[in-house]
Amino acid sequence: MTSPERNEASLSSRRVTRRSFFESVSGGIYGAALASLLKSDLAAVESTVAQPESLTAPRRIHDMRPRPPHFEPAAKSVIQLFMNGGPSQMDLFDPKIELEKNHGKAHFEKIASELESPTQAGTIMKSHFKFARHGECGADVSELMPHFAKVVDDVAFIRSMYTTNLTHEPALFKIHTGQMISGLPVMGSWITYGLGSVNQNLPGYVVLEDPLGLPVNHEMAWKSGYLPPVYQGTRFRSTGSPVLNLAPEFEEPEEVTKLERQLIGALDRRHRAQRFGQPQLAARIASYELAARMQMAASDALDVSQETEQTRELYGVGKKPTDSYGRRCLIARRLVERGVRFVQLFIDFQIWDHHSNIENGLRSACARTDQPIAALITDLKRRGLLDETLIVWGGEFGRLPIAQVGGGTRTVGRDHNKNAMATWMAGGGVKGGITYGATDELGFAAVENKVAVQDWHATILHQIGLDHHDLYYERNGLKDRLTGTFEARVVKEILV
Amino acid sequence: MCYPCRFSLRVVFFGLTLLGSASSVVADEVPSYDEDIAPLLKKSCGRCHGEKQQKADLSLATPGEIRAGGESGAVIIPRKPDESLLYELVRDGEMPPGKKNRLAPEAVDLIRRWIAGGARLGQEAFAQDRAPTQHEIIPRLLLRCTVCHGSRRREADLDLRTPESILKGGKSGPAIVPGKPEESLVLKRIHAGEMPPKRELVSVSVKVIPPEEVEMLTAWIAAGALVGKIEPDVATTEPDPLVSDEDRQFWSFQSPTKAPVPAVEGSARVRNPIDAFVLERLETRGLTLSPEADRLTLVRRVYFDLTGLPPTPEQVDEFLANEDPQAYERLVDRLLESPRYGERWGRYWLDAVGYSDSEGIQHSDRIRVHAYRYRDYVVRAFNDDKPYDRFLLEQVAGDELVDYENAPAITPEMLDNLVATGFLRMTVDGTYFGITNFVPDRLAQIGDEIEVLSGVLMGLTMKCAKCHSHKFDPIPQRDYYRLTATLKGAYDEHDWLEPGKRVLRNVPAAERAAWEAEDGEIVKQRQVQETALEEQRRKAASPFLEERLAKLPESLRDDLRKTFETVPEKRDEVERYLSEKFKAKLAIDVDELKKLDAEFEKLAEGLEKQIRELNSKRPTEPGVRALWDRGEPSPTYVLVRGNYLTPGRLVGPGVPSVLTDGRTPFKVEKPWANSKQTGRRLALARWLISTENPLTARVMVNRVWKHHFGRGIVRTLDNFGRAGTPPTHPEMLDWLATEFMERGWSVKALHRLMMNSSTYRQSSTVRPEHEKLDADNALLSRMELRRLEAEALRDTLLAVAGELDLTPFGPADGVEKRDDGLVTSVRSENGWRRSIYILQRRSQRLTLLENYDLPPMSPNCIERTESVVAPQALHLLNNAMIHDLSVAFARRVQREVGGDRQRQVERVYRLVLQRAPESQEIHEATAFLAVATAKWEQAAAEKSVVTGAGEQVEQSDEKTEDVEKHSDLAPSARALANFCHAMMNSAYFLYID
Repeated sequence: MTSPERNEASLSSRRVTRRSFFESVSGGIYGAALASLLKSDLAAVESTVAQPESLTAPRRIHDMRPRPPHFEPAAKSVIQLFMNGGPSQMDLFDPKIELEKNHGKAHFEKIASELESPTQAGTIMKSHFKFARHGECGADVSELMPHFAKVVDDVAFIRSMYTTNLTHEPALFKIHTGQMISGLPVMGSWITYGLGSVNQNLPGYVVLEDPLGLPVNHEMAWKSGYLPPVYQGTRFRSTGSPVLNLAPEFEEPEEVTKLERQLIGALDRRHRAQRFGQPQLAARIASYELAARMQMAASDALDVSQETEQTRELYGVGKKPTDSYGRRCLIARRLVERGVRFVQLFIDFQIWDHHSNIENGLRSACARTDQPIAALITDLKRRGLLDETLIVWGGEFGRLPIAQVGGGTRTVGRDHNKNAMATWMAGGGVKGGITYGATDELGFAAVENKVAVQDWHATILHQIGLDHHDLYYERNGLKDRLTGTFEARVVKEILV
Repeated sequence: MCYPCRFSLRVVFFGLTLLGSASSVVADEVPSYDEDIAPLLKKSCGRCHGEKQQKADLSLATPGEIRAGGESGAVIIPRKPDESLLYELVRDGEMPPGKKNRLAPEAVDLIRRWIAGGARLGQEAFAQDRAPTQHEIIPRLLLRCTVCHGSRRREADLDLRTPESILKGGKSGPAIVPGKPEESLVLKRIHAGEMPPKRELVSVSVKVIPPEEVEMLTAWIAAGALVGKIEPDVATTEPDPLVSDEDRQFWSFQSPTKAPVPAVEGSARVRNPIDAFVLERLETRGLTLSPEADRLTLVRRVYFDLTGLPPTPEQVDEFLANEDPQAYERLVDRLLESPRYGERWGRYWLDAVGYSDSEGIQHSDRIRVHAYRYRDYVVRAFNDDKPYDRFLLEQVAGDELVDYENAPAITPEMLDNLVATGFLRMTVDGTYFGITNFVPDRLAQIGDEIEVLSGVLMGLTMKCAKCHSHKFDPIPQRDYYRLTATLKGAYDEHDWLEPGKRVLRNVPAAERAAWEAEDGEIVKQRQVQETALEEQRRKAASPFLEERLAKLPESLRDDLRKTFETVPEKRDEVERYLSEKFKAKLAIDVDELKKLDAEFEKLAEGLEKQIRELNSKRPTEPGVRALWDRGEPSPTYVLVRGNYLTPGRLVGPGVPSVLTDGRTPFKVEKPWANSKQTGRRLALARWLISTENPLTARVMVNRVWKHHFGRGIVRTLDNFGRAGTPPTHPEMLDWLATEFMERGWSVKALHRLMMNSSTYRQSSTVRPEHEKLDADNALLSRMELRRLEAEALRDTLLAVAGELDLTPFGPADGVEKRDDGLVTSVRSENGWRRSIYILQRRSQRLTLLENYDLPPMSPNCIERTESVVAPQALHLLNNAMIHDLSVAFARRVQREVGGDRQRQVERVYRLVLQRAPESQEIHEATAFLAVATAKWEQAAAEKSVVTGAGEQVEQSDEKTEDVEKHSDLAPSARALANFCHAMMNSAYFLYID
């Protein structure tokens, strides 16, 4: 230890707070090992002592350190299985007898301004698929999801969700950020802003994107908006360097790299020693140390070869068409096991957007995701992790009860519908085996126990220990929230 | 049909219920209005909702006013206490405000029973029969009809915007027959389901007309389509009932006055009044200013602060050697004249207004090809020290300053005026096609513009007043809508100009001529290719044409042959007839022919490629992304609870009453005789830049202060209201604001004042007494240690590597996105341009800048956050471009000082940190170079062994390319690049003392 550092340590010890103590430790004075030990201890202490005021107190430095929740949470992590495109509720979880009875009848006039393509509006269309009741709860699931049908007793279905726009982009912004415009923080950013993350060697918010294609709105689906970039989703790729800039993009002997890092460390420590009372300098040094640790931790988390053959088979890894999504579901489990707060899975652009040929399209989308998703629930459950992991499934809107008739040889599909969408949640303090809310007889609009997007957000935040009203960020003179100025309610009826 | 019946239903909607059953309630159970309720309301609510004040637009003083409700609509629904706002608020203790004022449970119950009993107002029933006024009808017609029957389109020659034009009607006669709903055309069409036409609703962004609106229209017609005299609510010479003089007493609503400069103990340090104001506060806490920073620190600080770039070693030497006592002030003066200054300070303004080169929202995130003109305008305005009042005038109302449409020529000044209006064209706008262009979508867009306008220029948050009166500041909801009315000539939710049409072609003739010449040349070349293609087609088609002709009667063949061998433009009338008739049988287009004739296919594709290439070279037609008044704005209504379906009172243009004396009308005049422009924004701009305006100068002074000192005198840059933080130095703020105006709104004068002060020249060292007495530096006991902003960091990396291209202005340099999401800028011929000239695309922001807190514009950014995260480290450590820059830097150093290690180290230090290394640092660095060189040598030796053995090391393509790119470097140069890389990663480099 050099003397200026001693000076500073004693200077700040006069008003020692947990934070300043923590900062001086993580600054590398005592070495990384001690810092890392203390980090987990402090995390443990902080997570049991609820201090809601510190959550929204102005922060000079934004980082991923764990922060106390507003109240004892049911879940520690969230896995969002995002289904871009708008899965058809009446073909998956919300069967409608009236559609069969009225198949072929005109209905357009009644919903004229609720269509994206009025010129292609057809007549009422029944589902192409058979439904049966499954599990002890007797939940309705279409024949397209045979694996998922076996785990419905762990699932809470919401049939009465609705949104406010029927075009992809605004509806996607709405479901991710609570508002219909771009540039705002997404839910995963809000959660990590609120709670930080337990594992400091991995990002708190990980995005598992599909190598086949980004979702509509691209990276804007995981941006932190006006929240600092530390809360942004970090893309993990399943091949190559998993994180952007994680490994050097140039050729260099390892020893030289090491030597250079040592030099940077020496320069920075000296720089800091000459400037006491500047906490951001300690944080900067810590960020360089974390950068080094992250490389190993990320590669390890992504290495599914560490799993047993049986587990890989469960997820459908190694066989078509489940391999890609199965791999991501398995990685998602490995990430929440390691304390990652929010994991978001995407699949190939918008495979649920069935304007035409809904029969084959929906079949294929389900074939790719059904087994992996069922496996994720099963696997988390048998490891005792399902209780502390909230899984949420859904898209940005639902689809219409009438057919969409395209030109040429294309067969029929369904157009977008903002008035009703079916979603589900599982684990993380959610009741299993229940169905909440209802749509009208044709499945056009949610009518009973309606769940708005802000209610859905509030519920997810609640399960992870955050009050949607108390989670805010002061900006432009106002307190901005995920739930905006909407009155949001936690859907308590589906919670344990 | 039974309209009277519908009419009475409509009245129920207004609140008339079950009058007949009122008698069934036992009289003594229902409190009396006169004896119980009126006195209670007067005592408990009268102060804010009475004769003198009507907060939230609500008075509870008279039966009529209780009926009328307030800005949130009706406050009482007879017989339904739980749905009555008044009861809800007193029950929940939200009203009267403050715990001690809460109503006693008995009083709350009294109100409940009164409402439950029908809420009779003395002898009168609560609800009264009342026909709707024309201003309840017009807003509904604007929503449902006028897009096709209005000013731009007038289908069937029918205009439904005003009672007069409705009566006048269109081709089929008057749209209504007063008193006779059943004979009124407009209702007949609606009832027949013909209007609005359902299949076309989405394409014109109109929703189905709901039954209650039809009932209201019916009731209006039934009652004779009466047109009452209703004037828009605007400021008058009468005192404003909604905002009191007491409300205006808050410090920021009072015009700034110049406080006397205080006398202080440390007067020796006082260079200008700023120091006196700062010292006064410091001395009360037993502190004083920190010592002046050394000159090396100052030169670095001043350069970065004004230009965002480091001084060269030569510039540093020159300053250090300058013995003129005014050397520092001269340096500030000189840098204010540098073209780099506008690029640095213009960027702050672009943040504030939310500058963006793309539209956002849509997946395609279309580029705004003309937006760069606004960016250039801002850079030039700062460089030219355009007076801030003029700067605002042009941005808010540039289109109303000169009649550009009828000007003989567009002068550069006129162009500037139009470009400046881009200020109100920056936000994300989702109204690009029918389904996302409904009235609420448009209102959201207008809301964003109001947010930018009020936050950036007035330092007020008006967003909340969209739905209800402001909770903290005396901003009634009415004032929000008055402000939207000032924009209405340009932003009219009932007469919307879609994003694709917001370009004016009024540019100087020379610019247009240059474009026409360039484009014409390319078009000419293209035509040559097109003619060649047609010629080839005709030739190749000939045998196929003959085959087909052979199947037709011989008498026709000659004529048909001639017809189809003649290009369409040259056919005569008979030939045109024939070609139409036989098109299906005989015409053979290029695509068909390609399938029939392989040789032609090859030829055609070659020509088509050339045509495509020529097309891609066509220059963009010059245009200005502008905002302009289109005339004839629709009326503006307060939207009850912000809901577009519940239009309330008619209002006219105006500004927040609390920022005026409350008894001066908002004066709107046509900008010039017979102009179609309303002059509303011009009036707004003139009011903004008036020296009477309490906020405009304060807000700007505070913003400039923030960028020099790290935080504002008022911390909340865009909130000078009650919910904002009070100024740390109120007298200084006011002194600066008045000084700013007195010096002709010169921003450069402000820079001089601030930077020449002793306060600015302080050292940034934190001392123990600071931690104790001024921990957060609110008293300015020292300068703030500051990290380079994203742009300054990138520009400086480029500058030290010798890769910075200083070419200013013009269309933005493009960006590229790699598969893994990394976004980089495209290199120009001479390196990379400054960050302000890189495309600011919402979906593709430069990763480096984003990692260092470049904000998204949503709708703008008032203050950037500062984060310290691993991706920043990862980027500077591992990114290929940063690595390349370190190599370029090493080459530069070698070129400049040769191979001597110590000289190299000294040069690197001087270029990166603007100072010479200390001896310990030289030792550290040269030792590093020696070891690293040895390691590189060793690696090279091992590699040649490996390669010699014929084994290939597996490498990714990117890395192989990297090795080749730098293969000429000797190990010592490699090591030097490592040293440069380390310095570019160091905190010394990133932070400014």
